[in-house]
Amino acid sequence: MIRTKVCMLGSFAVGKTSLVRRFVHSLFGDRYLSTLGARVDKKSLVIDGTKIDLMLWDLAGKDDYQSVRPTHLRGASGCLLVMDSTREHSVDVALELHQLMLDTIDQVSFVVAINKCDLVDEWRLSDRQLEQLRALGGPIFRTSALTGDEVENAFAALARQILASKPPGEDGDPS
Amino acid sequence: MTRTDLPVVQLLERLDLALYESRDGRLLGDAPDWLTELAPEASKGSLEFDDDALPILGDFLGQARRFWQDGARGRLRSGPFVETDARGRGHALEATALRIDGRSLLLIERLGEDYELAVANLQTARENLLVQEELERIVARRTADLREREEELVYRLIRAANLRDNETGAHIRRIGLYSAALARALGWPAATVDDIRLASPMHDLGKVGIPDRILLKPGRLSEDEMAVMRGHTSLGAGILEDSRVPAVRMAAQIAAGHHEWWNGEGYPRGLAAEDIPECARIVAIVDVYDAMCHARSYKPAFPEDRVLDYLRERRARQFDPRLLDVFFERLPEMRRIRELHPDEGMDTAG
Ligand SMILES: Nc1nc2c(ncn2[C@@H]2O[C@H](COP(=O)(O)OP(=O)(O)OP(=O)(O)O)[C@@H](O)[C@H]2O)c(=O)[nH]1
Ligand SMILES: [Fe+2]
Ligand SMILES: [Fe+2]
Ligand SMILES: [Mg+2]
Repeated sequence: MIRTKVCMLGSFAVGKTSLVRRFVHSLFGDRYLSTLGARVDKKSLVIDGTKIDLMLWDLAGKDDYQSVRPTHLRGASGCLLVMDSTREHSVDVALELHQLMLDTIDQVSFVVAINKCDLVDEWRLSDRQLEQLRALGGPIFRTSALTGDEVENAFAALARQILASKPPGEDGDPS
Repeated sequence: MTRTDLPVVQLLERLDLALYESRDGRLLGDAPDWLTELAPEASKGSLEFDDDALPILGDFLGQARRFWQDGARGRLRSGPFVETDARGRGHALEATALRIDGRSLLLIERLGEDYELAVANLQTARENLLVQEELERIVARRTADLREREEELVYRLIRAANLRDNETGAHIRRIGLYSAALARALGWPAATVDDIRLASPMHDLGKVGIPDRILLKPGRLSEDEMAVMRGHTSLGAGILEDSRVPAVRMAAQIAAGHHEWWNGEGYPRGLAAEDIPECARIVAIVDVYDAMCHARSYKPAFPEDRVLDYLRERRARQFDPRLLDVFFERLPEMRRIRELHPDEGMDTAG
């Protein structure tokens, strides 16, 4: 069995907490309760016969006044890079955090989640921004924590990448 | 320093702190209730860290071990975090790693009300930021709408002014686009780039004041007629000057300066080099480029390489050499503008 640290990274109010809640507890809430600091939830997945325990670190989002603490990021083997399809600025923040992630962690997998895709009429991301996201080289998912669309797939893709990048036996005790 | 017999253990308790010593993996003094709720063995004075109990504290302890090993000075702080107890209740904590007298210590602090307060503040700040973002979005949209309306008005007025003239509507539009492209390449701020796109099409506005017998005269103009014709620059500037609107003020500079030469041999004032406003030096280049590349009723279109030779010959004579170099660098963009906005047959109406 493999146990691994995964961080939720993104601007504030993009839906990091909501994605974890949807994925782990199959719940969704309308109310915005911002996260301060870090909180961890656990979820197990089986990928191609291998059980993997994801320790999901839900971190406070970045805003103009505070960024993400590197202490919370260290030791992670994967990140879910989350942005809000209705807020252009959240993509710029995600790109900054992607850089912070590379600067802080040596070998790291990541998946891009463009969240709130249920709000089709409020889509605000430009083609140029999508191009920038594609250039990062990770898989991109259009998620909705509200409907649950693509949420499982995004986390599973991340788990798959983490497994692929880990030589067997490394990290976590083999069962 | 005098030794005191401070009741350290009680002090820790009162302050909602727990102190853990890394060497023997034990807590100093009794475990506070909140820690026992999070990790039951704490009641026996030991602390087990695994991912089921205290996963964040355990992760931080790993970083703290490296910190102690490196013999780093000062302290390492975890920042606030929330651990969940067996009953699903969250406890907000913050940990600090320190070395005192060679002992590696981890101070665990329960944040309690301070955390609630900080969350409330954060919440308010972020809700404000969201409102601010939304407002900025609305303003940006309104501004873009306004720009579009201004541009439409300008194009229609210019079309009216050009009714007697040979200029096509497409020429007018292209001049705006080339000028904006060149200004952008020169690093102008976005708002000023928008201004020149709006302003440059008005460069020949003064031609409305030129009598038909001169403006429409086939063949060469006499010296006197030429002098009248040259007056379109000052006439245009006169119509546009003293505006409160930046784009219109720029249009006045362009109307006045687009026939000035870099070497001072142009008109109407014989200004040279940097004395000619940059916006006018830009339009001087793109106006000649576009006019020569397209046919008019009185002349055919020249092939582009001839046009470029013509411009090159006049580098640092008629045209600002630095701007001309940038223009040449951006030729592909200029060509694309030409392709996307061709003259529509005979849209000259005159
Ligand atoms: N329509 C819609 N709303 C969503 C979605 N995901 C989150 N939200 C809403 O967006 C708001 C913010 O969600 P959170 O999950 O708290 O965002 P966060 O990224 O954790 O925010 P911070 O912790 O402050 O960084 C809440 O009001 C959610 O209900 C989604 O997929 N669709
Ligand atoms: Fe002119
Ligand atoms: Fe012209
Ligand atoms: Mg959150």
